[in-house]
Amino acid sequence: MRPQRKAGSGAARFLAPTVNSYKLHLAAVKSLVPDKVVPRPLDLQVSKGLTKDIAGDALRINPAKPENRLAALSGTRLAHSPALAFVGDLAGLEHAMLPPPAACGAVMGDLGPQSYRVHPRRLTQSAGAPGSQSNTSHVTAGDVITASALGFPCGGRSHDDYAALPERLDLDRSDSYQCFRRNCVSKHSPAGGRRGLEECPLLERVEKLRLLNLQHNRISCMRNLEHLRWLVFLDLHDNRISHLYGVSTLTSLRVLMLGKNRIQRICGLEKLTNLDVLDLHCNEIPRIENLSHLSELRVLNLAGNRISRVEGLRGLGSLAELNLRRNVISGVAEVDRLPCLRRLFLSSNCIGSFDDLACLGESGSLCELTLDGNPVAQETWYRQAALRCVPHLRTLDMKRITEEERRMACVLARKEDEKKRETHKQAVHKEKRRLAIRNAAQQWEELKACLDLPTQNGVKEEVSSEGSPTHSTAHTNGLAQDPSPDEPRRVSPLSAPDCPPGGSENRLRSSSRPNSPRDPRLSEAGGTSVQSLSLSDSHLAELDGETLRLFGPGALEALERGWGVQTAGAVTTIAFRYISFDAIIPTLPRIRVKFPNLAHLVFLETNISRLPQLAALAQVKRLDQLTIHPEGNPVVGLALWRSFLLYRLHHFNLQKLNGVEVTMNDVIAAERLFGTLGHVATTKTPRCRLLLLLEESRKRQLQFLLEGRGRRAGPTPEEDGRQLGEGLSRALFNYPVRDPSGDGQEEGAVDASRRAELVQRYLCGLVQWAADTSIKGEALHKLWPSMFVEMVRDCVLDMRDRPAFRQASLSRLTHTK
Amino acid sequence: MNFDRFALTAEEFIAETNVLFYLNDAVTQLLEHKEEYIQFGVARYFAEYFSSVKNGNHVLFREFSYVKATPHNRASFLRIFWRCFRQIGKNGDLLAVLEYCSLLQLICPDYPPEMVQSAAKIVLIDDAMDCLVSFSDFLYAFQIQFYYGEFLESVSVIYQDLLSGKSPNTVIVPTSTSVEHLVSAVEDEASQEGVDSTLFTQCIMGLCERFKHSHPSPAAIRDILENTQRVSFYGFLIAMARNEKISQEIGALPSKSDLLIDPEMDQELERLIAQISISPTSNSSGSAAGLREPPRKASPRKSLHPRKRIEMESDGSTEETDSSEN
Repeated sequence: MRPQRKAGSGAARFLAPTVNSYKLHLAAVKSLVPDKVVPRPLDLQVSKGLTKDIAGDALRINPAKPENRLAALSGTRLAHSPALAFVGDLAGLEHAMLPPPAACGAVMGDLGPQSYRVHPRRLTQSAGAPGSQSNTSHVTAGDVITASALGFPCGGRSHDDYAALPERLDLDRSDSYQCFRRNCVSKHSPAGGRRGLEECPLLERVEKLRLLNLQHNRISCMRNLEHLRWLVFLDLHDNRISHLYGVSTLTSLRVLMLGKNRIQRICGLEKLTNLDVLDLHCNEIPRIENLSHLSELRVLNLAGNRISRVEGLRGLGSLAELNLRRNVISGVAEVDRLPCLRRLFLSSNCIGSFDDLACLGESGSLCELTLDGNPVAQETWYRQAALRCVPHLRTLDMKRITEEERRMACVLARKEDEKKRETHKQAVHKEKRRLAIRNAAQQWEELKACLDLPTQNGVKEEVSSEGSPTHSTAHTNGLAQDPSPDEPRRVSPLSAPDCPPGGSENRLRSSSRPNSPRDPRLSEAGGTSVQSLSLSDSHLAELDGETLRLFGPGALEALERGWGVQTAGAVTTIAFRYISFDAIIPTLPRIRVKFPNLAHLVFLETNISRLPQLAALAQVKRLDQLTIHPEGNPVVGLALWRSFLLYRLHHFNLQKLNGVEVTMNDVIAAERLFGTLGHVATTKTPRCRLLLLLEESRKRQLQFLLEGRGRRAGPTPEEDGRQLGEGLSRALFNYPVRDPSGDGQEEGAVDASRRAELVQRYLCGLVQWAADTSIKGEALHKLWPSMFVEMVRDCVLDMRDRPAFRQASLSRLTHTK
Repeated sequence: MNFDRFALTAEEFIAETNVLFYLNDAVTQLLEHKEEYIQFGVARYFAEYFSSVKNGNHVLFREFSYVKATPHNRASFLRIFWRCFRQIGKNGDLLAVLEYCSLLQLICPDYPPEMVQSAAKIVLIDDAMDCLVSFSDFLYAFQIQFYYGEFLESVSVIYQDLLSGKSPNTVIVPTSTSVEHLVSAVEDEASQEGVDSTLFTQCIMGLCERFKHSHPSPAAIRDILENTQRVSFYGFLIAMARNEKISQEIGALPSKSDLLIDPEMDQELERLIAQISISPTSNSSGSAAGLREPPRKASPRKSLHPRKRIEMESDGSTEETDSSEN
C-alpha cells in the first residue's frame, strides 16, 4: 500500500474517478459493518463530491463544505471515513493494511460501541475543519482525557484563533496552504500540502511555543521538535507515529497526547519528568514499562492497547487516573503501589474473577472503578462482590454505589464467610465420617477374619479326625462360611492394607447401589440433611431424613440415647452396617418401642449366616420392608432364606423383601415348605417342652389351654395344638439371644453342674435303693418256700396237743387284757 | 429277658438300657424349670416326658448333646427331620450344605455344622463341597453319618491303616495271622485305589464284635462288601447310605421309594395353606389361591392387613416381655 501511496501522487490520483466512485459506493454499503481498518490515503484522490456524498449518506458524517475543498482534499477528514477506507479492499489490497492507522478513529479496529458518542468536554484543538466535530466522535468517554483532569483551559477554538497566539499552534488536519498564509510555518513537506502533514513541520520563530496541536495528520516520525523547549502541550493524536524517540528532549512537556498511533513500546520518556498527562490510547503497546520515573504523572491513558497485565506502575506517585480499557488484561498487580490513584478504568478486559483484583482492595485511595465488559461482571451479585473487594469505592461502572448496595455487599460478605466456615466444617465432618466408616469397615473385616479362622480350624480338626490326609487346606477354605467368591480376598488380613482406601470405598459404594430407586440404601455421600448423631473414629450413627444409618458396633448406642418423640417418629428406615447381627438382636425389641413408624430395616455386612438367625427379626413385630444385602450376609446365598423369612415373619405381612414385592404365591410357597415343620413342632413337641420354648404371654395362653383341657377332659393333643393357633408354630422358631455377660453364663454352668451332681446322686440313691429292694425281693423269693414249710410245721407242732394249745391261747388272751 | 434281668445286676441293667439317661434328663429338666413344671404338675410332666420319649418327639428343640446321646434319640431325630422337611425334598430343589445345616439348626439350635459337612462329604465323595445336594441323597447319607458316627470314625481309622499297609487292630482281630498274610498282599496293591474288600470286611467284623456303640449288622456290611473286589472309604459309605437293609435296621426313615410320601402330613399342610389363602381370597375375587396373577398381588396383600394386624399385636406383646427377661 505504501509504495502505492507514494507513487500515487499527481495524476494517478485522478485516474478513473468513475470507477472509483463505483467502488466507493459499494464500499460505503459495506462500511456499515466495518471490520477491517483500511486507511487509504491513496483514495483521497477520488473526486471529492462523490466522496462527500457517500460519506454523507453512508456514515452521516457532516459533509465537507464545498469551500473547504482543500481541507477535504487534504484527506485527513475524509480519509478516515470507512467508505473511502474500503476502496482499498475493493482494489484487492485489503490484506496489506497496517494496523490502526492515523486515518480515522471511526474505522479503527477498536471500534467500541461508544465510538460514536461525542464527548462534550473533549479536549480538542480543532483546526476548524468542518468535519472535525464528526471526526472526534470516535473518542469515547473512557478514552478521553477530560479537561478537568488536565487542568488546562480549553475549548473548541475557532480555526482562526491560532495565529493570534504565538504560544499556540494548531495544525489539526493541517492545510498547508493555510499554514503558509499565516506565516507560521516556514516549511512544509510538499507531500503534506494537500492531504495533511506527513512529518512534523519545522517550525521557526516559535521557540516560545507552548502548545502544539498536530492531531489528525499522517506524521509517522516525530522530528523537528527538539528545539521546542517550552512546549508544554503536544497533541499528536491520530497520526502514524511508531516510536517515541522524538519527544525525549521536550523536558517541559506536561501533556503528551499520542492516542491513535502505532507505538509499540513505551520508551524514551526518561527526561519528561514533568509529564502530567500521558495519553497513549489506541496504540500497540503490549506492556506497561519505563514509566516509573514519572512521579508527576497524574493521568495515564493506555486504553485500546494489548496489555495483558497491569504492572510496572511503581513510582507513579501522583497517578490519579489510570485508563486501561479495551486491553486484554487478565491480572492486576501493583495498583496498591499508587497512593493517589482515584479512578481506574478496566472495562472490556479479560478479568475472570475477583481474585485477579485482589490488590485493588489494598488501595486506599481508589474510589472509581469500571469493570464492565469483563467476564467477572457477568456474575450475579457482581456489584456487591466488587464492592466487597474494594470497599472504598464510590462509583462502579459510572454508577454511584448506593447505600443499599453497600449494605448488600456487607451481608453478602458475611454470608460468604459463614458459608466458607460451614463448608469447612462440613468438609471436616465429611472426612471424619468417611474415616469412621472406613475404620468400622476395617474392624469388621478383622472381626470377620477372626470369626472365620476358628471355623476353618474347627473344620480342619474335624477333617483330620476323619483321618484322611487328602483333605486339602484348599478344601477347608471352601468350607468357609461365605459363598461369595471374593470373600477370601477380603477376609485375608494381609490383603486388606493392600487395598487402597479409595478403592475399597468405591467398591463399597458400587456394591451398595440400590436395586430399585425407591429403595433407600446406604449411600456413602451424606446429603446436606444428614444429621450426625454419634461419631467416633470407628463408628458412626447418622440420621438422613427418615433413614437412620448405623456403622460399626459402637453406633448401636445411638439407639439407646434419648430420642425426641418427633425425631423417633420420623424414622422409618434403619440401616445397619458393619455390625454383627447377633449384636443387633438385643436391640430389636427396643427398636420397635422407640421408633413407632419404623417400616424398613436394612442389613448390610452384618454376618447373618443361618436361617435361625432370621427368626430373631420377629421381635421387631411390624415391618413393611426388609433388606438383607447379599454383601456380608451369607444367608442370602441360601435358596430357602426368602421362604423361611416369609414363613417366620408371616404376621408382618411384609410388602417387600430385598426390594422385591412379596406376592401371595411367595407366601403360599413358603408355607408349603415350612408349614410341616411348624405343624410338627406345634403338635409333636411335648407340652412341657413347649412351655419352655414360648415367651411369656404365649406361655400363659398355653397354660390356660392346658388347664382347660384338664377340666373339659378329652381332646387329643393334636386338636389341642390346633387350638394353640398357627402363630404358635412360628413362634417356636426363635433365635436364642446369647447372654452377653460371661458371669451369668459361668454361674449358670456352675449351677448346672451342681444340679447335675445332685441329680446324679439322687438317682444313684434311687437306683441303689431299687437295686437293694430288688435283691431283697429276689432273696425272699428264694427263701419263701422253706420259710413257708417251717411256718406250717411250727403250727402243726403247736396244735398237736389241742387242750394244752387251747389253755395257752386262753391264758394269752387273759394276759393281754 | 427275664433271664437277663436276673443275670445282670440292677446297675448293670440300668446302664445297659439308657434308662438312667432318660431318668437323669427328666429330673434335671424338672429341676431346671421348677416353676413351670410345678404349675404344670410333676406327675403330668413325667408322664408327658416319657410318653414323648416313647413317641420319639422328645428330641424336638433339644440340645445336640441330648439328641445324639442314645440310638433312640438319634433315630427319633432322623425321623423328625424327615417329617419336618419332607416338603422341601418334594419341592425338588437341590440345596447347599449350608442350607441343610440351617434346617437342622431350626430343630436343634446348636447342631454343629461340621457334622453336616461330613454327611455331605458322603454324598459328594469328599470333594466339590460347594455343590448342591438333593434332599434324599442328603437324608440317607446324613442318617448313616449321624446314627453310626462313632462306628464310621473307627472304620475310617481301619481304612487308613489298611491303606498305609499297617496291620489294623492286630490286638483285637482274632485271626491275626491271616490278616498279616493279607496285609502283605495289600502292600503289593498299595498303588491301587481303595483297599481289598475281603480284608476290610474282616477288619470291620472284628470291630463290630468289640464295638460298644451301635453299628450296622454284620450281615448288611457283608452284603455291601461282598460284591466288590476293592473298596474305597467313601465308596463304602455311599453303599451304606444306599443300603435299604441298614436303613430298615435304624428304622427312622421310610424306604427310598416312600421317602416323599406322608399323607397325614400332606393333609395337615393343605389345611394350613387353605387357612392362609382363605382370608385374602374371601375378601377379593375368589380366584384360587396360588394361581394368582401378578397384577392382582397387591390387593390381596392389602386385604390381608386387618386380620394379620391383630395377630401381630398379640405377638408383639409377648416378645416385648420376653426381651425384658433377657
